[in-house]
Amino acid sequence: MDQELLMKQIVEQVMAAMNAASAPSAPKACGGCVTAANYPLAENMAESIKTPTGKPFTSLSYEKVISGELTPEDMRIAPETLEMQAQVAESVGREAFAGNLRRAAELIAVPDERLLEIYNALRPYRSTKQELLDIAKELDGYKATVAANLVREAAEVYEKRDRLKKF
Amino acid sequence: MKSKRFEVLAARPVNQDGYVKEWPEVGLIAMNSPFDPVPSIKIENGRVVELDGKTRDQFDMLDTFIADHAIRLAGAEKAMAMDSLEIARMIVDINVSRKEVLDITLCLTPAKLTEVVGKLSIVEIMMGLTKMRARMMPANQCHVTNVKDNPIQIAADAAEAAIRGFAEMETTVGVARYAPFNAMALFVGAQVGRAGIMTQCALEEATELMLGMRGFTTYAETISVYGTEPVFMDGDDTPYSKAFLASCYASRGLKMRFTSGTGSEVQMGYAEGKSMLYLEARCLAVTKGAGVQGTQNGSVSCIGVPAGVPGGIRAVAAENLIAMLLDLECTSSNDQTFTHSDLRRVARSVPQFFSGTDYICSGYSATPNYDNMFAGSNWDAEDYDDWNIIQRDMRVDGGLNPVREEDVIKARNKAARALQGMFRELGLPEITDAEVEAATYANGSQDMPDRNVNEDLKAIEEMMARKVTGVDFVKALDKAGFPDVAQNVYNMLRQKVAGDYLHTASIFDDNFHVLSAVNVPNDYHGPMTGYQISEERWEQLKNIPNAISPEDI
Repeated sequence: MDQELLMKQIVEQVMAAMNAASAPSAPKACGGCVTAANYPLAENMAESIKTPTGKPFTSLSYEKVISGELTPEDMRIAPETLEMQAQVAESVGREAFAGNLRRAAELIAVPDERLLEIYNALRPYRSTKQELLDIAKELDGYKATVAANLVREAAEVYEKRDRLKKF
Repeated sequence: MKSKRFEVLAARPVNQDGYVKEWPEVGLIAMNSPFDPVPSIKIENGRVVELDGKTRDQFDMLDTFIADHAIRLAGAEKAMAMDSLEIARMIVDINVSRKEVLDITLCLTPAKLTEVVGKLSIVEIMMGLTKMRARMMPANQCHVTNVKDNPIQIAADAAEAAIRGFAEMETTVGVARYAPFNAMALFVGAQVGRAGIMTQCALEEATELMLGMRGFTTYAETISVYGTEPVFMDGDDTPYSKAFLASCYASRGLKMRFTSGTGSEVQMGYAEGKSMLYLEARCLAVTKGAGVQGTQNGSVSCIGVPAGVPGGIRAVAAENLIAMLLDLECTSSNDQTFTHSDLRRVARSVPQFFSGTDYICSGYSATPNYDNMFAGSNWDAEDYDDWNIIQRDMRVDGGLNPVREEDVIKARNKAARALQGMFRELGLPEITDAEVEAATYANGSQDMPDRNVNEDLKAIEEMMARKVTGVDFVKALDKAGFPDVAQNVYNMLRQKVAGDYLHTASIFDDNFHVLSAVNVPNDYHGPMTGYQISEERWEQLKNIPNAISPEDI
């Protein structure tokens, strides 16, 4: 990289700019929670893990992939598993990360294509406030409450910061 | 008269680099800017109403997100009232545990974190890295790319990089439409070299997620966040969209981390007159608040900016430390080229290399520099022996190990043949025996025959349209006579069902046993504690093939 050129660019950009002028989710109270002592779950709690298609984790095998008995839909994580992983995270003091895993658990039901669309709709200047609120409602329909609230929160902040779709 | 000494000095590589004087008003300052905000927090009814000198009505989008999500409020007022120097001393005090430090630092605001690390010398920062890193043992990550997007070379380079020790591998593209081939070549090549290596393909955000969903990759990293609102908008995202994206990945069982680094805001022209380190602390707070397990930080692709100002490389190490003080996995850059000087490039890596981080480089170029599609790396394939010998000299574990030429040739050849077979079974354009041969012995893409790019791109489009997934890779490899490789790919896919590797600082050993900050947390608390190089590992590190043994003389 030509550093001198880079520095010049920086200074130019800086000059141009000068001229132009929900709380983290609360830990869930639960008795008999999964903790770091149960981790890795694939080794220590394999019997408790299922695929979203309802197949036991212990029943997955290479041979079944080759025979076609297992499909890509079987090789996904289930909401209950993410909840267990969230509990593991909480047991080692990672509440924010646990919150992300719970939000993720809710989104498993949303199809791939729709998930990508919602992500794009959350980017700046992509959506009106109403469009974001409609997405939140749609997520409520999936029982994705935490994710829906994040979208509602974004709608408020985008409005305040003028980052909604411009016409 | 001109001094001959000065004439010689002027011609030195270090004087080919660019430097700039501090200019705090526009953010051209590494850390400790007089314009950085004074740390503060005020909490009313469980809600932050003042953050680093701004009241809620003055908050921009980042302040709002950080105030609402990033700071552990229980204990925040108490921690914020502590003297920053006292907290800095706790970081280097072996009698204060990592957990005790985190109990304080997780409650701090970005300005306070910046002030705390600003009290530390570079050696004390290194002590902090050793103690605060999340995972007990360090590891390393590499880039596997080439200017031709040649998938056979990617597979061979990945297999070699695997036996050289990398735990994670990242590819990207010259031509965006080549991404699926690059991702699958990396996946297969890595699993030939060693079972359990995680692979990613750096692309535009939505495309990167799509490839992960299809099982072409096992994790993601290029999820950039920025320290000011205008730059965040220029990056076409918000903290909210990025937080949502983080959950999308976890919902598909995919590990991910965010990326940020000092200098990006000033490079993009909106530093708002703050120091690079303070803005990076804001990025890390956003990362924490989004609930992401880790970060790739350490200036990364903006390294030329901090490297140009006084104390810039110290600030880069300090930003790695802030990531760790937020209990995040730290994948510590040491990637993009920033200097003509071999001395400077080594010195830049000393803090992370000698202290150990979760991933020292992110990444080390597993190819010659001319093939590195991330604009070159501070370390590349032609430095492999330098890295190994520095490990041996200093008795440090930088994640790599010496290898034998015959083992490398064998691994490269098998990876090329496995990809050849997989392409055949998936009905993709032929990989010829001549290409396999070339990839087996190549140093870089100059040693590789050209492929028919149009035919490849057409095949990729068709393959994506018929929804090929990682499951199809397993079947194709099995059919092609590579059941052991197929089994490894299957095992990686299977891990997504259990989600153990979503956790902080995870890697897999070659039995797909996950090692993360949950089951192997860093417990360093002074000499002879924390990660110790085992006898077996030291044998591996010290036995370079070119060392003369006394018996030979």
